[in-house]
Amino acid sequence: MGVFVFLPLVLPLTAWPVARLAEQHLHPRTATRLLTAVGGVMAVCSTLCLALLMVVGTAQLPGNPLPDGWSDPEVRAAVPHDEVAGKAAIPALAAVLVACARVVLRHHRVPRRARRALAGLRAPGVAVVPDTVPYAYALPGGDRDRVVVTTGLLSLLTPPERRALFAHERAHLAGRHHRHLLVARLAARANPFLLPLSRAVAYSTERWADEDAARTVRDRRVVARAIGKAALVSRPAPSPTLAGLAAPGPVPRRVAALLRPAPSARTWPPVGTGAGLAAWAAAVGTAVSAMSSANSAVTMIRILHAATFL
Amino acid sequence: MTRDGHDRRARRRGQGELEAQVLAVLCEAPGPVTAAWVQERIGDSLAYTTVVTILTRLLAKGAVTRARDGRSFLWTPAADGAGLAALRMRKVLDGETDREAVLSRFVTALPPGDEQLLRDLLEQAGQPDDAAGPDEG
Repeated sequence: MGVFVFLPLVLPLTAWPVARLAEQHLHPRTATRLLTAVGGVMAVCSTLCLALLMVVGTAQLPGNPLPDGWSDPEVRAAVPHDEVAGKAAIPALAAVLVACARVVLRHHRVPRRARRALAGLRAPGVAVVPDTVPYAYALPGGDRDRVVVTTGLLSLLTPPERRALFAHERAHLAGRHHRHLLVARLAARANPFLLPLSRAVAYSTERWADEDAARTVRDRRVVARAIGKAALVSRPAPSPTLAGLAAPGPVPRRVAALLRPAPSARTWPPVGTGAGLAAWAAAVGTAVSAMSSANSAVTMIRILHAATFL
Repeated sequence: MTRDGHDRRARRRGQGELEAQVLAVLCEAPGPVTAAWVQERIGDSLAYTTVVTILTRLLAKGAVTRARDGRSFLWTPAADGAGLAALRMRKVLDGETDREAVLSRFVTALPPGDEQLLRDLLEQAGQPDDAAGPDEG
């Protein structure tokens, strides 16, 4: 097992270049799927290796309730620096599990509360809420998918812009984007190195819905205008951290992307380009991550099998 | 709206639907009415105290108003069903500190630096097709 058990913990770094370049060089649909898959696999591998390290860690605890063979020196010898790594893995794994549980709870709680709030409205599909505060979002709910939009936002938009808004939100629902987002958020909780990936997935789902909306209304500028108008009337961000130094936020980047020609629907960037290399790096990183964690898991099972006479 | 009139079902329907139901009855009323009137209209599925509790909750949300009339209150709707949904929806959104992380909204809030950039882009979006050059944003 040796050093292999540590590899999946740091291999998410290989996905950083593609998380950064996907926005410019990949179709948002491809980017969402690629980044979600890479993030999901890497998060599972990383958590598995954390669990294996935890097994080594629990073997060191005095009075652990596990079989005697569990603390066999052979188990510990399987991992370099077992003293530190094993013990550190126990709280780390606990933190990962708690953080992931909270993400899942929130993922279900907020839409459920939103659905309950709209319980009085019978109209299916679209819920127009009389409120001066402008907002809109897609509320997934199995066969009761809904687009929620306030009269405040609708009154600011022209009829074509309204169609663009609805097309955007329906694209979120039709593409089941909330599932991609859930996987990405869980991945970021499982391994903090996957945070840039999670942010890139959040952005590329918005771009994906923008592109779908542009195709539906057959006018990229109308979608750009709808996004821009909605953003300008929304409440400003509560805490502008280093706003002066930060790169442009997601909204101007989305509008700028819509003012450019539609991205090509090519599934994989050419190998010679930076984006192509980045995509391959992430793919190789994912494969190595999967192989290392499989290798470590098999080794650990063998050791335990031998040590505990299972 | 009151197709399932039994007490247990009514309770299971939950707070949201009960509030909507009480408000709907209130909206049908010819004028300011008492809680007893509301209870009578809803049918025997709700206890008087439950109706008063729901009306009080609606009052806290600003969906109804009340005026004292002798020893009881007269209730008037301040919002219709959709208005109540709006009030409740805003409460859900305000309750989530990190709400962008859960519901994917149409736009996220703009940091101050982005506003001018966005205005420039929108100016470009308003122009005819041939005027737009490649963007370096």
